[in-house]
Amino acid sequence: MNPVFRKAFLFNQAFGRCSFLVQQPLWNSAAAANQRTYRGASTEGIGRWKHLLPKQAQRKKKDKLQMKPIVEATPTSYGTLNVTVSGYDVVLVEHFSQFIHNLCNRLHVPMSDSYALPTQSTELMLLQQKGTKTLVDAVLKTHHRVLQLSSLDACLCPVFMDVVLKNQPEGVQLCVKEHTEAEFHQRFKARPELEGLVAQIGS
Amino acid sequence: MAAPCGRMLSRCVFQVLSAYRRSGISKVGCRYLSMSPVSRINSLKGEVQGSPWTLMAAVCLQRLPVISAEPSPIEQQFKHLLQQIELEKSVLADHELRLLEDAERMRRKQANDYDSDEEEGRGGQEIIMTQDLEDVWDQKLKEFQPEPRVRDDIDKDVTSAERCLQDKLILLAEQQVGGEKLWLLPQTQWKEGETLRQTAERALASLPATDLKATFLGNAPCGVYKFKLAKAARTQSSEGVKVFFFKAILSDPAPPKTHTASFVWLKKTELESYLKPKYLQKVNRFILSL
Repeated sequence: MNPVFRKAFLFNQAFGRCSFLVQQPLWNSAAAANQRTYRGASTEGIGRWKHLLPKQAQRKKKDKLQMKPIVEATPTSYGTLNVTVSGYDVVLVEHFSQFIHNLCNRLHVPMSDSYALPTQSTELMLLQQKGTKTLVDAVLKTHHRVLQLSSLDACLCPVFMDVVLKNQPEGVQLCVKEHTEAEFHQRFKARPELEGLVAQIGS
Repeated sequence: MAAPCGRMLSRCVFQVLSAYRRSGISKVGCRYLSMSPVSRINSLKGEVQGSPWTLMAAVCLQRLPVISAEPSPIEQQFKHLLQQIELEKSVLADHELRLLEDAERMRRKQANDYDSDEEEGRGGQEIIMTQDLEDVWDQKLKEFQPEPRVRDDIDKDVTSAERCLQDKLILLAEQQVGGEKLWLLPQTQWKEGETLRQTAERALASLPATDLKATFLGNAPCGVYKFKLAKAARTQSSEGVKVFFFKAILSDPAPPKTHTASFVWLKKTELESYLKPKYLQKVNRFILSL
């Protein structure tokens, strides 16, 4: 320990007074190792970033899906439209719906919603060649993806439809319809007990 | 300007219900399109001011490609590379696992010290081996003959709507315009009391010897072409003609018709040889070269 100390002293003397002062805090902290040196220093909190983000409203866990308001058609634009992409190949259907979504973003077509409908399975049963039993040959799954455009300008419509149709892949069906409340309610399962109770209360 | 264009936009927009479906190669010729009737026609309000321009509406009828285009060399190489990567990273499927199990079992059966009592798993003999299933499927695949993608003889026939299945085709008709026969998009004159889109529908319906079912994309025109009549032909009431173009998609596969040479189906690149330069310039602007 002593020779080290002597060396430090000599070092300080060689470089003058200021270096001696700088060395001192180091020796102090080494003596009191429990102190944290960054608290109170000017660089405290240098890595903090969450306080810079905008405040997000706290989401309640039981959030019932609300229907977005249906925009009415005006003389120069269509109202809320549902573009349904469906097909057997999930990759193609997903990619095509993503393509349409990106196209809408590019053309500044306001999109209110984009959701997927439940997959429908179709079992193909073929008659066995020998015998009358039907054999399960294949299961085909139809996937649906829906994009809801809140309004589409009438002048833009032919161009938009043209581009979408030109890029439609093989095996994918496209359907453009108006959005109605009935269609929104189709997404939910019917609840017969609830309806029964409501009818009882009403009657 | 007595422009139905402006009036049309002030009307309530029609409600569109349309379904487009891409057909497989067996339904050659066209996509299937269905559209429910769109009707709420209001009569043109007000008087048409005496305008020197004659208004016409034309229809740009397109037959969309039926099959996907051939991939370019780079696309083919990339596709091959992606498939290789996917194959190497993938896990064995159920069918392949069963194949391996069956092969194992066969080997164990053939071994000298085989004891069938030790066999676990499937109770009793399975009737169909997985390899046999594969053979059956291979057989079925050999029996399937796909249609050829490119048919040269039909491609050369310009009047057939089933040529060039990979490209988009546009209908051109030979019509009488001011004394001479010209190749152009089917057009007809606008009448009072109808929208320009109805005029375009009429233009399509009035083509001789064909009944083409089409779905119009929207009520707004996609292009306009105007030309002034020659000085000698100009009068007080007619200075020139303005033609508005509407896009439509062919919905029915064209039924076999008598081969009249009055209309042709052309790709975008072939339009040059049929249309006049100025007309072509305006038309090229709205025909997408996708």
